[in-house]
Amino acid sequence: MGFTGKIADYLQLVYGDVTLGVAGEGFHCIFSYQTGGLESLCVKGKEWLYRTPKPTFWRALTDNDRGCGFHLKSGMWMSADLYMDCVEIEVEVDGQKIPLPKAPENNRFGAKEYAEKLAVTFHYETITVPKTEVAVTYEVIPSGKIIVTAEYKGKEGLPSLPQFGMRFIMPTKAVGYIYEGLSGETYPDRKAGGETGIYQMEGLPVTPYLCPQDCGMHMDTKWLEIERESVLDNTWTGKERFSLKIESVGDSFAFNCLPYTAQELESATHQEELPPARRTVLCVLGAVRGVGGIDSWGTDIEEAYRIDAQKDIRFSFAIRMS
Amino acid sequence: MHNTKNHTPPKMHKPKRRENQKFVTKKHKLQMDLFRKDWVMEADLKWIDNPEVFRVNQMEAHSDHEYYTTETTYQAGKNLLKQPLDGIWKVCYSRNASERPKNFYQEGFDSSKFDDVKVPGHLELAGYDKVHYINTMYPWEGHYFRRPTGCGMKGERKGEFSEADYNPVGSYICKFDLKEELVGKKTSIFFEGVEQAMYVWLNGIFIGYAEDSFTPSEFDITEALRKEGNTLAVEVHKRSTAAYLEDQDFFRFFGIFRSVTLYARPKAHVEDLWIRPKYHLENSTGTVDISLKLSGATGQGCVEAFIKESGKTGASAQDGIKACVVAREELGKCVEISCQMPGKVIPWDNWNPYLYEIEIRLFDGQGSLVEIVPYRFGFRKIEMRDKVLYLNGKRLILNGVNRHEWSAETGRCISKEEAAWDMECIRKNQINAVRTCHYPNQILWYYLCDENGIYMMAETNLESHGSWQKMGEVEPSWNVPGDLPEWEAAVLDRAKTNFEVFKNHTSILFWSLGNESYAGEAIRKMHAYYKEKDPGRIVHYEGVFPNRAYEDTVSEVESQMYAPPWRIREYLDNHPKKPFILCEYMHGMGNSIGGMKSYMDLLDEYEMYQGGFLWDFIDQALFATDEVTGEKALRYGGDFDDRPSDYEFSGNGMVFADRREKPAMQEVRYYYGLYR
Repeated sequence: MGFTGKIADYLQLVYGDVTLGVAGEGFHCIFSYQTGGLESLCVKGKEWLYRTPKPTFWRALTDNDRGCGFHLKSGMWMSADLYMDCVEIEVEVDGQKIPLPKAPENNRFGAKEYAEKLAVTFHYETITVPKTEVAVTYEVIPSGKIIVTAEYKGKEGLPSLPQFGMRFIMPTKAVGYIYEGLSGETYPDRKAGGETGIYQMEGLPVTPYLCPQDCGMHMDTKWLEIERESVLDNTWTGKERFSLKIESVGDSFAFNCLPYTAQELESATHQEELPPARRTVLCVLGAVRGVGGIDSWGTDIEEAYRIDAQKDIRFSFAIRMS
Repeated sequence: MHNTKNHTPPKMHKPKRRENQKFVTKKHKLQMDLFRKDWVMEADLKWIDNPEVFRVNQMEAHSDHEYYTTETTYQAGKNLLKQPLDGIWKVCYSRNASERPKNFYQEGFDSSKFDDVKVPGHLELAGYDKVHYINTMYPWEGHYFRRPTGCGMKGERKGEFSEADYNPVGSYICKFDLKEELVGKKTSIFFEGVEQAMYVWLNGIFIGYAEDSFTPSEFDITEALRKEGNTLAVEVHKRSTAAYLEDQDFFRFFGIFRSVTLYARPKAHVEDLWIRPKYHLENSTGTVDISLKLSGATGQGCVEAFIKESGKTGASAQDGIKACVVAREELGKCVEISCQMPGKVIPWDNWNPYLYEIEIRLFDGQGSLVEIVPYRFGFRKIEMRDKVLYLNGKRLILNGVNRHEWSAETGRCISKEEAAWDMECIRKNQINAVRTCHYPNQILWYYLCDENGIYMMAETNLESHGSWQKMGEVEPSWNVPGDLPEWEAAVLDRAKTNFEVFKNHTSILFWSLGNESYAGEAIRKMHAYYKEKDPGRIVHYEGVFPNRAYEDTVSEVESQMYAPPWRIREYLDNHPKKPFILCEYMHGMGNSIGGMKSYMDLLDEYEMYQGGFLWDFIDQALFATDEVTGEKALRYGGDFDDRPSDYEFSGNGMVFADRREKPAMQEVRYYYGLYR
């Protein structure tokens, strides 16, 4: 459609051969048909993504996970977390589904393309046996917000999940984050003592468990703002901090924000073996497995805190770019 | 208990068996009168192979009271008759007994080639011998095939420790002059903790032998002591038959790891003190029975005892004095005092750890003050009614934690500051009970628990799970102490020492027979011992859970560990015989302590569920220098090339090894606060 109103009310779309660009006031995103997801999230000139975010299923085993043999039953989720295929991409412009506008389909567009709303859905197929599907929809709104909805399709025969959500890897290590939610490190079965409030974290603290393992979870979060001060862009020499905000949509969400992926954490037997912290790994989660505590050598966590992989999971959150 | 009539004759190496002494060894009747040591023994290396020899020439265990000789030194809290020997000693490390310097204790031995070593401390952490962490397996697993004396199996072997090619020895030498105040007085040497078997000589004279690493070992050294130029020689063996009884899930260390002190006696002295306060619920009054055992110039002079309110924690002796002369007795070997407190008393508990203070004064025949012994105690009543435990009439709820003494720098040799930090952390996080897993702690800790209202489960130094629990399964084809007569005296002596040393601590509500040592006749007798000596406290033991044959004769509470909530319900819904306690629960390994609510809910559902002790207070890990970065890093089992190991299994704390709270602590604080 042609541009008729205020720029802030519209998104400008760039129907590339391989990607779909979308820009609004102060932000520019690129969805990639090649990498199968959101390849770039640039806010006020700062890039927030190092690699295309994907659904996450795996967490670094906790001592209790290992003790109860969770990995022996659910280990396939580790490879599913690492490797997945994007099998289909859908694009909706102003509520209308259009044929995937990659080359040569995109030749029908020009340099000035605008929309009030854009939704891109990536369908992933897991490498679990049996396979299942995850759909991730990014709904971009001109006011500078992306609503992300992740839908896991439950499948009979799949073992219990460690977690489900989206993992974002950011180019540089954040200086810290602020969130509104519960104090301390909380999990579904360990959050009664958490006090509601707004908390500021310095750096990306990794809880120094003797053996590195999943940590730093924050349940029941309303919003989260990540602050950085460095970029990989060679043209930028500034020092000021900049931030990105994640907000709940309806329900609260859970997250952890660490300088490591689950695989990095799990590969280290000691804290000092962890590599130098260079990135920010944010997992925004709709389902988190509890940590348990009955023992560390056989008893699984209580049933209420396990994630049933046979049931659908759907959750949303928003990325605020303004 | 002292035997004054039947002295072992000098130089008699094979004393005859006396049947009337229950708690001494069969083959070596070596007990002596405290101040009439008129004989000398030779040390025998074979003692480390013999479970029936564990205590040679040791003084009787006694109350842990302090004493002073003047009003001024009492007010200043300074016992002038005490001389600490902690500091830099000489040591020689040997890989086994045959390589040790055998004559190092002799006068004139040249120890200049020995190394300097700090006492107290573990020898492994001073750079001798390998650091090793292992849980249930005996530390020689995969290295030596061993079977305990008396089990009747093929693997039993004479000289299994004394002749082993790996069984390190630390030969320590400490030279000292006597402080002026101690000269000419009856004097003992007091080792608060030495792991795991020790021989002591002074100025070339054999003083004695001790096992039981975690309780004090004390010897009369009066006869051997000089004013100047004393040479103390201590030979510490890493393993002995005591190793079968000390298989705790921890780093396996050896050495003199707690303080060494000389204590001189004034001319009359309170050797033992047993204060038995009784709190009468019906009218909030208190009575106190006190038994004193005196030594020295008894028979003349008199004893005075006062009880006053010492007020709140930390109150000085002058605060809130409500002195009452409760007794004035003639001096005798044993003195019994009873008194009724005037008016009502304030009971001691976690909310208000109110302590009274008794002051005992000994005077000589001329009426001059000889000794002051102060002791703080509280009035409290722990009782079982209708299978429920009550403290001062209120149902007891244990919001407890198991605590190993631990420092990432110095292992189980922890500082006063670290102990104080632990107590502060416990108070702050609403924890009201501590189990001294799985051995008696430093004496200081019991005083801290009294002052802070912490309910103690005071555990005996006993853990033999390597003998009957294999790869998590109950497999008692051989086990110690079991029913083996050779092991019975040793474990009963451990119970006795634990009781005698700590009996005056108000905070102790439970005596615990030890941890994970299965159940048999020896354990049953330990239970009976505690109950007979101290019917006013509760006896606890978990080991009847795997061996139900002893359900009716061992442990007054049903104690289990790591029971899922449903298993607790199952017990309590099916004609339970005893109140239920979890002596260990919520295993805090790594990122854990989820699901605590399910346990706390049981407190509301069942009167007979009385809470438990989290596992555990602090991660056991050690600082080491990282090979790559050169920086300090926390290391655990397997990080010292120690095999076999149970690796990170020692890190189950509510606090990290460097004493930072783990995130789970906020959950503990929340729930324990709700149910306090």
